[in-house]
Amino acid sequence: MVVLPDVGRSLDALDEAELVRRTAAGDRRAFDELYRRTSPWLAVRLRRRCADDDVVADVMQETYLAVWRAAGSFAGAATSGSAVGWLWTIAANRLVDAFRRRARQPQVSAVPPAETVVPAAEDEVLAGRIGQDLERALLALPPEMREVLRAMALDGLSARETAVLLGVPENTVRSRARRARIALREALS
Amino acid sequence: MRMVRAADTAPTAYPWIVQADGLRVKAGTHLAVDGLDLALGTGVHALLGPNGAGKTTLMRALATVVKPVGGTLTVLGAPVHGRAELRRVRRALGYLPQHFGFYPRFTVREFVEYVAWLKEMPKPEVPAAVQRAIDRVGLAAKADARMKTLSGGMLRRAGIAQAIVNDPELLLLDEPTVGLDPEQRLDFRELLRDLGVDSCVLVSTHLVEDVVAACTDVVLLNEGRLVHSGTTASLIAEGGSSDAGDSPAERGYSALLRRHRAEAGR
Amino acid sequence: MTMHPSSAAIAQYAAGGRGLDEAAVWSVEIHLEECADCRARLAGRAAGDTLALLDRVAAGLDREIAAGPAPVRRARRWSGPRRRWLVVALAPWATMTVAVLLCASVLNRLLPGLPSLVLLLAPVAPLPAVAAAWSRRLDPAGELISSTPVAGLTMLLRRTLGVLAVIVPVLALIGAGTGTSLALMLLPCLAFTAGTLAVGALVGVPRAAAGLGALWALAVVAPTLITEDLPVVLRPGSAAVWALATAVLAGAVVRRAADFRRLTSHS
Repeated sequence: MVVLPDVGRSLDALDEAELVRRTAAGDRRAFDELYRRTSPWLAVRLRRRCADDDVVADVMQETYLAVWRAAGSFAGAATSGSAVGWLWTIAANRLVDAFRRRARQPQVSAVPPAETVVPAAEDEVLAGRIGQDLERALLALPPEMREVLRAMALDGLSARETAVLLGVPENTVRSRARRARIALREALS
Repeated sequence: MRMVRAADTAPTAYPWIVQADGLRVKAGTHLAVDGLDLALGTGVHALLGPNGAGKTTLMRALATVVKPVGGTLTVLGAPVHGRAELRRVRRALGYLPQHFGFYPRFTVREFVEYVAWLKEMPKPEVPAAVQRAIDRVGLAAKADARMKTLSGGMLRRAGIAQAIVNDPELLLLDEPTVGLDPEQRLDFRELLRDLGVDSCVLVSTHLVEDVVAACTDVVLLNEGRLVHSGTTASLIAEGGSSDAGDSPAERGYSALLRRHRAEAGR
Repeated sequence: MTMHPSSAAIAQYAAGGRGLDEAAVWSVEIHLEECADCRARLAGRAAGDTLALLDRVAAGLDREIAAGPAPVRRARRWSGPRRRWLVVALAPWATMTVAVLLCASVLNRLLPGLPSLVLLLAPVAPLPAVAAAWSRRLDPAGELISSTPVAGLTMLLRRTLGVLAVIVPVLALIGAGTGTSLALMLLPCLAFTAGTLAVGALVGVPRAAAGLGALWALAVVAPTLITEDLPVVLRPGSAAVWALATAVLAGAVVRRAADFRRLTSHS
């Protein structure tokens, strides 16, 4: 049963959580607005984890379809915590599933993390960076540990899922996560 | 930033996802599994054997539905043969019984949600996990149809969806391809291969061709005992041109059975 | 919330992160998950190939949404818990029990000479439904349920409470109608339920229910119908004994909670 909002009413004032609630009620306009607002961010973030644009497109399509189809039972879950964070969780899970489907084919790869670029003096003015110490410690880690940390701490994947994403055995992921944690703790103390 | 759980950084404490030593399990009064040694890791494993070989009983023991009467059985590092703490193991299990019982008036989504609750999944994760399971088995179009309206193949798929809703580390499928037409069976093999990437899948089946196409190795049972355990290539290698069967795998299968029966008869 | 990244940082991130080191990228990503304004800024700086990707996905979404069913409203937030407590499979059993009790009460009114049939039946009234609640054969999904972590005492108790929630009010109403002591009507019922569960931990609940039901029928109901005299166990003074029995048996059930985790090989 589609509940249409007053046609002329602007959706700009609503936040993403409210848009999800309306999508749950079958409001296509709210869904389209949700897509318009969140898809650029999601696309850029996904492209930094997967080099294959076809996979990224599939994952995004599945993610938003999941939001649309299961909208009726999502409403409760979406309102606890950030709607955008929850959207990322769905996308991350679909990304892992996509990598499982292609686990036998080596072409699809995760994008390796950015090289440690020494920022030029002007760029030092970048505001809002994660604490200076943590940042220095992070940059001191070898890239494979940073990859694992990004998947687990930033993207919220489990060790098993990270293993699928990075194409390494699960125990390797676990030991890298352990060593990264120890290294960070040492660097910060 | 999200929390990294301590459990996720600890090394896995167990070498095998399923480990059995001298396992004995009864089905009613009959000893259906008699002294079985087994070690299974990640991948898709086929459980083959004639009727009455003890396949279903073994599955039920692994699913912690029946208690073994002898030997040891360790699932996901936890012993399940004694008075064991089964909750942790059951949270990481997925089971599709041979006779898949369901509630006809439930919709697919409602049933998978119910099973997600039964498996003690955290509540905020349930709707997304249910949709993911439904999408993975290809039932997205029928997610809100009542289960009594589904055809046999779709019902099986719904059964698989409920088994994978919690992304289990051990997935037990007892005769999952019964009632599937050839095209559905192909889709199912694809799904099996995906599932086997990072979990241990045990598929019990009569159809040797399903085995060869999708499974990494084979466990052959007869009369409750282990006849052969190894890769599908090793199964094929056991067969010769004089053995019964229409395919190399079937010939290997019948050769192994013949030899096992001959030895047992001695 | 972390502070907003500069326009340069946003532009570099949108272009794939070239020129930003890993820590800066992390900062940006953490911030973007929280800040709608910066997400909008990112959208404004999106590269051409990203926009092409977005169009492609949007077109795919239009197709799929048009082809598929509309989202189903799940307005009933209580339908989940309702399904867990009042399992549909038990409805016929509960209905049958209530019907039998009502018939017994009608019979009592028609034949006032008989001892209270409802009082005689009350203790064993919930047993058929409780047996059904934990019988693998009677619950279509029973096999599946026994492999889940919830299977065990909690689930059995939930279902038993659901059954009692239906039967106890009926008993109370009938009791109020005939003037029998409420305690005498309800306490034996609770004691027998607890007893079924306690014995069921050893031999399986359906067998325990059948056994206790048969025991009650032979030892109490049959003699009472023959002698037409209220049995000792149901005389008004025995309420305290029943209460004690209920407490003891309930304690026994809790102590054997682990046995319910798995149906043993003989059930």
